[in-house]
Amino acid sequence: MKIAYRQQDAVEIFELDGEVDFHSSPELRDKLQAQVQKRADKILICLKKVKYIDSSGLATFVEALQKVKRYNGQLVLSGLAPAVRSVFEIAKLDSVFSLAHTQEEAHALLVNPKGLAPEA
Amino acid sequence: MEKKFELKSCSHDLAQFRQQLKELLSGAGFNEKKSGEVTLAVDEALTNIIRHGYGHEKGRVEVAFHDYQDRVEIRIRDFGKKFDPTKVAPPKLPPTKPGGLGIYFIHTLMDKVEYQSLAPDTNELHLTKMKI
Repeated sequence: MKIAYRQQDAVEIFELDGEVDFHSSPELRDKLQAQVQKRADKILICLKKVKYIDSSGLATFVEALQKVKRYNGQLVLSGLAPAVRSVFEIAKLDSVFSLAHTQEEAHALLVNPKGLAPEA
Repeated sequence: MEKKFELKSCSHDLAQFRQQLKELLSGAGFNEKKSGEVTLAVDEALTNIIRHGYGHEKGRVEVAFHDYQDRVEIRIRDFGKKFDPTKVAPPKLPPTKPGGLGIYFIHTLMDKVEYQSLAPDTNELHLTKMKI
C-alpha cells in the first residue's frame, strides 16, 4: 500500500492506495500515531484508491480516532468504495466514523467551524 | 474441483494469496460481493494464525479449496498454538477499542464455521459458503 501525505489548510491529509491489511496497516498506524503525538487537529484519510480492508485496518483507524477524540481533534474518512464501506458496516463503525463521499466534502467538514457528525 | 496451497505464516504473502483465492471464487461462480466476503473471512483466519497461532514465528499453513455444485469449502490447517475460534464470544459492536473483530468477521461472512483439533499440534478450520 502506498501512503501519500500532504497538508492543506491545517488539515493533515493521507491518501491511501492499495490494500489495508495485516501486512500494510503497521506502516499506516505509525504515520497516524505520529500525527496523534503532535496532537494534529484535523486529519483526513482518503480511501478512494483502497480496494480492500480487513480488521487490522479497521483497528488502525479505531485507535487513531479514539486518540484524536481525546484531545478534541477531528478525523474524517473519505471515498470509501462499497466493498470497504461494507466492512465498516459489519463492525457498525459507520456510525462511529465521519464518512464523506469525496475528499472535498471531507475537507469542508473539517474546516467547518460547526463541527462534524457521522454520515446520515 | 480442489486446489491446495501451502503457505508460509508470513503477512507479506497474504495479498498474493487473496488474489489467487478471488480467481478461484470467480471461477466457482461467486459475484464480486460474495467473493469479497469469503476472501475477507479467509484472510482473517490466516491473519489469526500468523499473529496468534505462530506468534509471528515461521510456520506452515495448508489451505484446501473445494468447489462443489452448491457451495465452496475452504479448509485451513495450521500447526501452531491450539485455538478454537468457534468458542470465542462475539464482540460488542461498535468496538470500543481496536482489535477483536477478526473472528466475528469469519462467523458473519461465512455460512458455516467448524473447527477440528486433529492432533495435539494441529488446528483445522472449515469454512463453508453457499452459492445461493
